[in-house]
Amino acid sequence: MAEATPDTHPAIGRHGANRGLAGIAAYARKHPVLSLLSAVLIGLILWAAYEVFDWAVLRAVWYSPDSQLCRVEGAGACWGVIEARWRIIVFGLYPFDEQWRSLLACLLIVMTAVLSCIPWFWHFKKIAPLWIAGFGGFTVLMSGGVLGLEFIPVRQWGGLSLTLFVFASVTILTMPVSVALVLMRESKLVLVSKSVQAIIDFVRSLPLLVVMFVAAVVLPFGLPDALIGEKLFRVIAGFTLYVSCYQAEILRGGIQSLPKGQGEAAKALGLGYWHRVSRIILPQAFKVTLPSTINQIVIVFLETPLIVIIGFFEVLASGSAAFGTAEWGIAAGEVYIFIGVIFFVFSFGLSRYGAHLEARLGKSDRR
Amino acid sequence: MEPDTQLAVVIKGLNKYYGSFHALRNIELTVREGERIVICGPSGSGKSTLIRCVNQLEEHEAGEIEIFGNVMDAASPNIDVMRRETGMVFQSFNLFPHMTVLENCILAPVLVRKVDQEEAEETARHFLAKVHIPDQAGKYPSQLSGGQQQRVAIARALCMRPKIMLFDEPTSALDPEMISEVLDVMVELASEGMTMLCVTHEMAFARKIADRVIFMDAGEIVEMNEPGAFFDNPQSRRAKTFLDQVLQH
Repeated sequence: MAEATPDTHPAIGRHGANRGLAGIAAYARKHPVLSLLSAVLIGLILWAAYEVFDWAVLRAVWYSPDSQLCRVEGAGACWGVIEARWRIIVFGLYPFDEQWRSLLACLLIVMTAVLSCIPWFWHFKKIAPLWIAGFGGFTVLMSGGVLGLEFIPVRQWGGLSLTLFVFASVTILTMPVSVALVLMRESKLVLVSKSVQAIIDFVRSLPLLVVMFVAAVVLPFGLPDALIGEKLFRVIAGFTLYVSCYQAEILRGGIQSLPKGQGEAAKALGLGYWHRVSRIILPQAFKVTLPSTINQIVIVFLETPLIVIIGFFEVLASGSAAFGTAEWGIAAGEVYIFIGVIFFVFSFGLSRYGAHLEARLGKSDRR
Repeated sequence: MEPDTQLAVVIKGLNKYYGSFHALRNIELTVREGERIVICGPSGSGKSTLIRCVNQLEEHEAGEIEIFGNVMDAASPNIDVMRRETGMVFQSFNLFPHMTVLENCILAPVLVRKVDQEEAEETARHFLAKVHIPDQAGKYPSQLSGGQQQRVAIARALCMRPKIMLFDEPTSALDPEMISEVLDVMVELASEGMTMLCVTHEMAFARKIADRVIFMDAGEIVEMNEPGAFFDNPQSRRAKTFLDQVLQH
């Protein structure tokens, strides 16, 4: 493998420079077998691409309120199912007449998340009211019981708004919890640091499902009634603890990667512990760990559907409900593709935002 | 004034261990206010450890350190308060890379001394002008040369208006052509009567500004003398060998 550097590799080496048809012809004469293989592969890819396009666009059924058109011989993708069933996918079991509330709540969470991404809000005095307003508004809209809104119990929440709510709550709660964990983990007090280390190692050794299951099912047996609370909030707490333990280790890596002199210089200037942590150590550690943090957040988003296991009607579950009738049973693939697109949009948006943030924070590194 | 208040630093019977390694042995040192001390010696002799003990970046196991009559040790509750009085300049600059030069300079005065923003900025610009880089305030440290970074580090320390300045090999990480711009600033500082403890290998600088030169080896103070006497007529064999090595070219 050592000789496979760009300069010497026979397949891409000097020939790569000859662009255009003449270059391709010359390459084909020199490497007939490789060229044939490439031609066959390109042909296969083009064929598959056409088939997908034909199915998804050319022969697709865009509108079919009762699924009959989808059953016609030669019909392609049945996108009519989205049109007919999107309310189930997005809102789950939420009462039909109140679904505008779920939509508003959804938008509110997305807006809170987007605003949290704007640097202007990155101050405790700005971000705290934003989050309180965002999550407070979400809860009021979703559960009602005040302001003349009909009361909707949490077990009827569902679909995309539930997924987004769980995801946003876990992500936002993880930030302070993981910082608290890593500060205790790095504490000079051996008792504190050792016990937090034990907790982190223990939680990280568990599968997420077990943590969720314990939070949802086992915990109520051991807790006094007053502390049991809503199952959804216990699951969010368990999920948050799980993610925070990983995030704490990510942050610890970031803190350890900083030169020792940073903390020393801050000490020498007379800065106390909290100033050192909040002004010198954490800002730099956040910056170093940004790529892994964004990665972690995307993983949280993709793991959120696991809450279906303990009986929550999140977007994947409401998706299977959408095609789970005799009428729409043929359109499972289309529904999953639709949900896949939703997940892709969010995950891709997150990673693009991460890249933007890295570029922005990288400014102080330019030379 | 009480005689004690004129003593900037008093070190008595200081001992420091790294595990079983005996890093500092029975150090006795008194520095008067306004006095300029240069500490030299072969590497590993404990000179950096000694001045890092003065502001307690290193904790000592035995002995006593006082700064203007206040005891410095790991247990003292006002350690952060005493550190305000001792500015420190490091070999590796240790500027905060995520802040501009100006932000580096005003951070501690605003947070610790509770100076208001505008006043702190004015002070910072004053000291940046003093270290001859008045026009770099908006840049990030990574955009500056090593010599400029070290001068910013000096300005940052001065912004806290410390009573003592500690220099831990401030020119050792610099390219040769940048050493003099940093030393010039230190000479100016010395001429204004700042109390200084410098660990350095710049012997010409030591001869020029030092009131006393301390020679350390293997964790102990071997010789302490006026620079003229020390350089021209070292008493111990170890100091002689060391001077031969650093002065031979």
